[in-house]
Amino acid sequence: MSNSDGAEDSAPNGNVIPLRPRQATPESGGSEAEALEALRGALDDLRRKIRARSPGLAAEEAPRPQSDPVDWFGLFDELRTRLARAGLRERTGEIDEFGMETDLVERMRPLREFMAKRYWRVAMRGTEFVPRAGPAIYVANRSGLLPYDGWIFADLVRSAREGTEAPRFMVDEALITLPFLQPALTRMGGVLACPENARRLLAAGQSVVIFPEGMRGAIKTFDQRYRLQGFGHRWLAAVAAEAGVPVIPAGIVGAEEAQPMLFRSYGPAWLLGLPFLPMTPTFPWLGPLGLLPLPSTWRVGFGRPLEPGSLDFEDPAGLDSDAFIGVLRDRVESLVETGRRQRISPWS
Amino acid sequence: MNGASYAVTGVGTFWGRELAGRLKERAEGNRVLALDLHRPHGLEPGVDFQYLDLIDTRAAQTLGETLRARGVESLVHLAFRQSPGPNLALDHALEVEGSRAVLDACAAADVARVVIPSTTMLYGPKAGNPNFLTQSWPLAGHPHAHCVQNRAEVERLAAVWAEAHPASAVSLIRSCWALGARFRNYVTRTFERPVVSTCLGHDPLLQFIHEEDLLGIYEEAAATAHPGIFNAVGRGVVPLSRLLALAGKKRLPLPEAALEFLGEHGGGRAGARGNGDEASGFYDYLRYLWVADGELGWAEFGEPRYSTQEAWVDFVSSDEQAFES
Repeated sequence: MSNSDGAEDSAPNGNVIPLRPRQATPESGGSEAEALEALRGALDDLRRKIRARSPGLAAEEAPRPQSDPVDWFGLFDELRTRLARAGLRERTGEIDEFGMETDLVERMRPLREFMAKRYWRVAMRGTEFVPRAGPAIYVANRSGLLPYDGWIFADLVRSAREGTEAPRFMVDEALITLPFLQPALTRMGGVLACPENARRLLAAGQSVVIFPEGMRGAIKTFDQRYRLQGFGHRWLAAVAAEAGVPVIPAGIVGAEEAQPMLFRSYGPAWLLGLPFLPMTPTFPWLGPLGLLPLPSTWRVGFGRPLEPGSLDFEDPAGLDSDAFIGVLRDRVESLVETGRRQRISPWS
Repeated sequence: MNGASYAVTGVGTFWGRELAGRLKERAEGNRVLALDLHRPHGLEPGVDFQYLDLIDTRAAQTLGETLRARGVESLVHLAFRQSPGPNLALDHALEVEGSRAVLDACAAADVARVVIPSTTMLYGPKAGNPNFLTQSWPLAGHPHAHCVQNRAEVERLAAVWAEAHPASAVSLIRSCWALGARFRNYVTRTFERPVVSTCLGHDPLLQFIHEEDLLGIYEEAAATAHPGIFNAVGRGVVPLSRLLALAGKKRLPLPEAALEFLGEHGGGRAGARGNGDEASGFYDYLRYLWVADGELGWAEFGEPRYSTQEAWVDFVSSDEQAFES
């Protein structure tokens, strides 16, 4: 980089630009003006170089007329901001406001497709009920401790809707705040199940998947598999009514056998700070490998959407909300039953 | 005399000193009264300084007389601890009783606009928090963060005072952690280290506001009436691991017991020798979500110039010898 003013001793290394103007000012008054001129020239050069590298910035400012005094602090601030930001974009993937890392989700797509198509051999029915556009609330039964059902179901909805983004699956507070699960689930698109989050996501045009059974469904033992528990998260009726989105019931069959919990062990769990330890045929006998899900056959069925207006939503907080949840639960239950009947065996 | 008359308490802090200078320069003829125990080095020369000890029992009376004599129309109360200290009673006396004295003085002098800074730490880092907390979310605070509890009391005092004095506009500015090239406190000291200890297995989303943006909000709230409670935050949230990776810092994930132990015996941030609180009073804020929704604040005070990530980058790339606040 050449110094247009010709002063050679104030900027000896042409490429090293001190970012603090006052440090570059020498003691004596005579060469101070020279030093400032040299610094100013060097900084202008650098600024032009940065602008030339970023094509979007080149058109922003008209060149500063030489007779105006340099706004040192403005220039300093601008340089610092741009230098600090330069190169950062390549290292950072997009993380949305709910913590999902889109890069990671894209990178995991081959794994998700393998799990859905080969490992669990998911077959869907009723995909004609999945709305092609606009946000919706999907309601499904919850099975298995870890939310594999939510994770795969979100991807299934995306593939059924062809080209739109996947809905966000809502995870119960008890799970999504556990250590290690919290960052993992959040990065993959899981969101805490609460009405505020649902409202915000729907307002932004994103669909959500809610599992109203909550932890009651997650901690069912294997002998109670597919027995639908009571529906919590009753706020979903009011939220759907306010947002004017349809609620689509769905039944997921196969996730129970993927994580068969034979019984809950309450004894040694407190040592790890957990409420209980799940005892499966593979865990804890095979160690951490035992937490891997088993390759059962999955059947996912979507039901007819329930529109907010269809059940007289004048007063969502009143009896209508209970009626809506009741109808929803019946639909999910029948979808689960149909799925189980259609499946010849859990392992075929 | 066509300028406005301002008063700023706590000019010994970074915020007070900077704001006093900004208000003085904002318009020709502005008169700014700076109040604290000592006149800080670097305070704008045109700003008038007066001694004020908020722990003194006569503080309310003397301050009220001064405010009335100067015709102060806008007061910004910034006399709060930037880092909690080991003496809980002293902190309480300064922050809570001091605020009460300031509010009494404002009542006596009929101050038209009162700006009180608060913090989004008041929402409390809890497992069940939604991802964005609005102003109406209940304030849970944290039982082991005494300065946060003090601020909750100050908010209650301010709310009661605002109702009793409807002619005055009270602005409660709840800001998240502020970062920038110059401001330093116990939070920034944690992030300045090359190795930052975090909670094992947790990676919360954090938000920051840049010091320039927050100063701009204080200035705007002092200059024109903005009654109400506002979250002052930067745009965007970034996970803690991403922030540390951007800054090239190493993470040291530690279980809770280790963090408590380090707090007690490390003589550092927490513990009886540090800030009088247990370690969880700080580390829970690096464990659970407490992100505030800034829509109302942005609509009221304008878009922040720096996003969360930009504020972090500015802080990280700044000079080591920033002054202490």
